[in-house]
Amino acid sequence: MTALADMVWIEVRKALRSRVPLFTGTMSLFMPLGVAFLIFVARNPEISRKLGLISVKADLLAYSATDWAAYMRLSSMIAAAGAFFLFVLVVSWVFGREFSDGTLKDMLAVPVPRATIVLAKFIVVAVWSAVLSVIMLVIGLLMGAIIRLPGGSALAILQGSGLVLLTACLSIASVAPFAFFASVGRGYLLPVGIAVLALITANIVALAGWGGYFPWAVPGMLAQGETSLTAASYVVVILTALAGMLATYYWWMHADQNR
Amino acid sequence: MPGMTLAVETDKLGKRYGDVRAVEDLSLQVAQGEIYTFLGLNGAGKTTTIRLLLGMVRPTSGTATVLQTRVRLGSQEPWASVGYLVEIPRAYPELTVRENLEVARRLHPGTAPGGVSEIIERLRLAEYADRRAGTLSHGNAQRLGLARALLHHPRLLILDEPASGLDPAGIVEIRQFLLDLTREQGVTVFMSSHILAEVARLAQRIGIIHKGRLLQELTMEELERNRRRRLLIRTSNTEAAHQTLTSAGHPAAVLEDGTLELKAASAIDHPDEVNSLLVMAGTPPTHLAMEEEDLEQYFLRLIGVSGGAA
Repeated sequence: MTALADMVWIEVRKALRSRVPLFTGTMSLFMPLGVAFLIFVARNPEISRKLGLISVKADLLAYSATDWAAYMRLSSMIAAAGAFFLFVLVVSWVFGREFSDGTLKDMLAVPVPRATIVLAKFIVVAVWSAVLSVIMLVIGLLMGAIIRLPGGSALAILQGSGLVLLTACLSIASVAPFAFFASVGRGYLLPVGIAVLALITANIVALAGWGGYFPWAVPGMLAQGETSLTAASYVVVILTALAGMLATYYWWMHADQNR
Repeated sequence: MPGMTLAVETDKLGKRYGDVRAVEDLSLQVAQGEIYTFLGLNGAGKTTTIRLLLGMVRPTSGTATVLQTRVRLGSQEPWASVGYLVEIPRAYPELTVRENLEVARRLHPGTAPGGVSEIIERLRLAEYADRRAGTLSHGNAQRLGLARALLHHPRLLILDEPASGLDPAGIVEIRQFLLDLTREQGVTVFMSSHILAEVARLAQRIGIIHKGRLLQELTMEELERNRRRRLLIRTSNTEAAHQTLTSAGHPAAVLEDGTLELKAASAIDHPDEVNSLLVMAGTPPTHLAMEEEDLEQYFLRLIGVSGGAA
């Protein structure tokens, strides 16, 4: 346990000293702020008229978020898509930076098990992503209150918050394989590229009716209130997370490290 | 090395990348407390060997044993007692020198927290201790890499080009530091280098690697003996002198500038007799010098690279 605590300390220190938490934190602030701003614009015709194209986008959003329940559903969809990319960035940085900065070699011939090092990284990724999700939720709730959305019952807000957090949890679980992609690709490009591909594929697979079994489609479908999701859908996401963690561990244990 | 405790041992160690044979059939032994230098050109296979010894890459043939432990990929042993430096030392650029060393300390459980300040002092990094590693010069980054390798008081140091990037004063300082470690604490040093002068001043034994193969292993004394010597003579009458020497059983070559070159042991071991012979024949030497092949020439001759012929 001491070794794991030490490895977590190392990962936290590296993260806090970098600019990446500031960047991801800012992004997680801007997503709900942006959505709230567009809804605010759409609900105020005098501002909307002055903003042209923005007002068109705002109108589209406003139609889908007319009250708290719809607004929280919209926030969940952001957690499924926008936040997913943020989580991919986090996991890619935590794992990929060791390769791109050439620091991996100093973690290899050490008396700490590689499993502990990899686990500590996953713990930091999960906590970091969870913090970003909470920031998005809290800011979303605050903005919803500020723009005075109708239908703000305690139940609607509570249910909506639960949906946002559950979607975020599924998104966080679904990014575990990106640690493997960052390790194999020895940097950030491969995981980010695959993340784009995964979301495009998720849309196609969902249209074909198989989205419930595609791990990167499940969070989005949950956010949209799809009824086709089953217990198997959640199992697929959990298995994807486990497979991602195991593949990463296996790769760190057995692949040649030449950098 | 019968009866000796070995710190490093490889047996027919090999590593291939596709068709490229990075290291082939490498068998060497390094005794405990010894300074062994791996000498070779860039791309000779030095770094691959070091990565094989550290369990960073899987051998395609043979085995490596470090501190009596068979090296395996992903294993935790024997790294608590090994310090290393591979290629250009890298540090977390956003962390300070002290924080980077704190990271290294936690990667070696059991190392006292005070060890960080101690190694900062020993490697003269105090001035830069609170500076971000990303702003360090190459030389100071190298010092930080060495500090990380030494932090946990290892019994074996595996160092890839440890003098790289250091200024002349730094090279002398690190050399002395490594010598003190071996003499006072019995630390074993396995290091690679392509800087021949550095090797000559530090190593007790040298392994010469070329194109992935260990060409020769020799002690510094053997190296001295193996280096070619030649007797160079200039006289006012080269032709007559040449004839005199040849008739007396001292084969000589005439170089482009008219200098006579003698390589036979009979001449090299008795330059005084050669001198007397030429004086008696009326062609006294105007210049007589014994020239010894330097380390660089010896090395180049051994690996068959032009410029090595003395």
